Amino acid sequence: MRVTGTAAAERVVQRALRDRRGALVFTIGTGCCESTAPFLYEDFWPGPDSEAVGEVAGVPVYAPEYLRALYPGAEGVTVDVEDSMAESMSIETEYGCRFVLRAPDGAPVPNQDTQTCDVPEAVSALRSRGPQELPEALRRARMR
Amino acid sequence: MGDAQLFIDGAWVDAQSGETFPTYAPSTGEKITDVAKAGRDDAQRAVEAARRAFDEGPWPKMSGKERAAKLRQVADIINGRSAEIAEVEARDGGGTIKKAMFADVPGAVSTFQAFADCAENEPDVVERGESPFPPAKSIVRREPFGVCSGIVPWNFPFLMAGWKIGPAIAAGNTVVLKPASFTSLSAIEMVKAVEEADIPPGVVNLITGPGGSAGEELAQHPLVDKVAFTGSTEVGRRIMQLASGTVKKVTLELGGKSANIVLDDADLDLAAAGVLWGTFFHNGQVCESGTRALVSRKIYDEFVGMLVERAGKIVIGDNMDMATDLGPLVAPSQVDTTERYVKLGLDEGAKLLCGGSKPSDLAAGLDQSAYYLPTIFEADNSMKIAQEEIFGPVLCVIPFDSDDEAIKIANDSIYGLGGGVWSKNLDRAHGVAAAMRTGTVWVNDYHMITPTQPFGGYKQSGIGRELGDYGYNEYRQIKHVWQNTATDRNGYLHFAALSGNI
Repeated sequence: MRVTGTAAAERVVQRALRDRRGALVFTIGTGCCESTAPFLYEDFWPGPDSEAVGEVAGVPVYAPEYLRALYPGAEGVTVDVEDSMAESMSIETEYGCRFVLRAPDGAPVPNQDTQTCDVPEAVSALRSRGPQELPEALRRARMR
Repeated sequence: MGDAQLFIDGAWVDAQSGETFPTYAPSTGEKITDVAKAGRDDAQRAVEAARRAFDEGPWPKMSGKERAAKLRQVADIINGRSAEIAEVEARDGGGTIKKAMFADVPGAVSTFQAFADCAENEPDVVERGESPFPPAKSIVRREPFGVCSGIVPWNFPFLMAGWKIGPAIAAGNTVVLKPASFTSLSAIEMVKAVEEADIPPGVVNLITGPGGSAGEELAQHPLVDKVAFTGSTEVGRRIMQLASGTVKKVTLELGGKSANIVLDDADLDLAAAGVLWGTFFHNGQVCESGTRALVSRKIYDEFVGMLVERAGKIVIGDNMDMATDLGPLVAPSQVDTTERYVKLGLDEGAKLLCGGSKPSDLAAGLDQSAYYLPTIFEADNSMKIAQEEIFGPVLCVIPFDSDDEAIKIANDSIYGLGGGVWSKNLDRAHGVAAAMRTGTVWVNDYHMITPTQPFGGYKQSGIGRELGDYGYNEYRQIKHVWQNTATDRNGYLHFAALSGNI
């Protein structure tokens, strides 16, 4: 696994370096709301199985063993930044942006020749709202 | 000036900086309102208010019965406004109005009721028996920790706010809550109910915002005694580190990549529906989603055919319409993440069975960039899409040949939050359930969580439990009181241990 940063990501990291006194570190972490994503933290211990896999604006990027195994070799992963909120407590969230990981190539998902779930047109319409009554089975749910 | 403000020490206030941030309706991309953006100083003020309310206020000194009455009042107020709150919840978070009305709002109501029951019924003082020599009796007292902070995610904002506020205040603590910035509005409604129930100032405080430094402060402030967090595993690790400075109690409910195991003797009709429900409920934006369906090879082709056929019947559209099963994801960025994983899955050779794109026929007015079709892959458990939590509507179907192999695949994950097993043979099903290293297992069901039973994770899915008496007691310290019952020197060992002269 080898991680680099885009120019835009570097600019945000440089701002964080000015705003924070401690040592900054990226950790590529896991799961739940953020999915796998880069997190920029101050004075953070990356964990016993983490190793440096690159740097962005001089800030080291760490990844745990299991993620390195999923992205073996020189497969390039990029830290980029986009204008979106995040809940990661990552430093850049205060600037109204979030770091994201880009796959080795930024190519769009190719067209698949497999079947696609049909979504009935009639039911995906933005309809005028009828009675907003819960179905009976949901109304009587009482979990104790 | 924000329309939606912070609640600190019983008063609605703007952030000290005056800054706000916008919140949007994911289905249409329309802005709903501006929300106060709390900074480090606001978080500090909230913690200090909670500290004063705990150290000097009446709340921790009230009896469990008195606090229970207040919690029931909060439940009643929320219940009385359930339609209004459900609309706020669905609109801000993108979940369906159906989900808000059957899960989020009633779930929060019953959470407050369940913890009111705990406050009333769980004993504060327990006689623990007597010692023969030195003659003594022991009692254990359960006491509140003090100031509890709670940081909650955007997938179940109202319910999670209840899971943090409910047990904390039921046990006599005070609390500072930070909702996710995508979804601040329903937490504000919950705090309004707390205010209306006349719970003393400072007992419940709310700060909103993205939370780089505000969130850090809630996890590390020396006046905070306990931190509860629901969200990403990596953020959970960050919170543990921050909390370690003053050795705070930490409870975490983190990520998952849960397995839903379909044995060859399962009722396939029910299991197919259960697997789809287990994955696609709320677009897979649920920590315990059963995003790996492990399917016996004996019934594999028939079962996978049922999954694909039925996935196409899930109704996608306007989340404010009661007929809609799936609305948008929480934000276009979450769709980007899903797309990234779909591409990774294809690159790794997973077979796409259905979905794999945004819907093309959404009605005008809906933001297509926030929607994604239910997607099913046939995958190998070693693939990224089977190991990493996507938090989008992506199911990996993985075949197995024996129950032992199913258990091995299920446990081959850094996570251990939930899991399901489907079988008509209950002995067999419970055998598999016992072997799964997860905090919850559903036998012939999925996603059922009740406020009276524990919920939480093994491994990197978290520590501690929420809900029920287990969850309640995470918010109570344990104090052993030893009382020597002797009346003269014969009942003491001091003299022999040191000297008869002391």
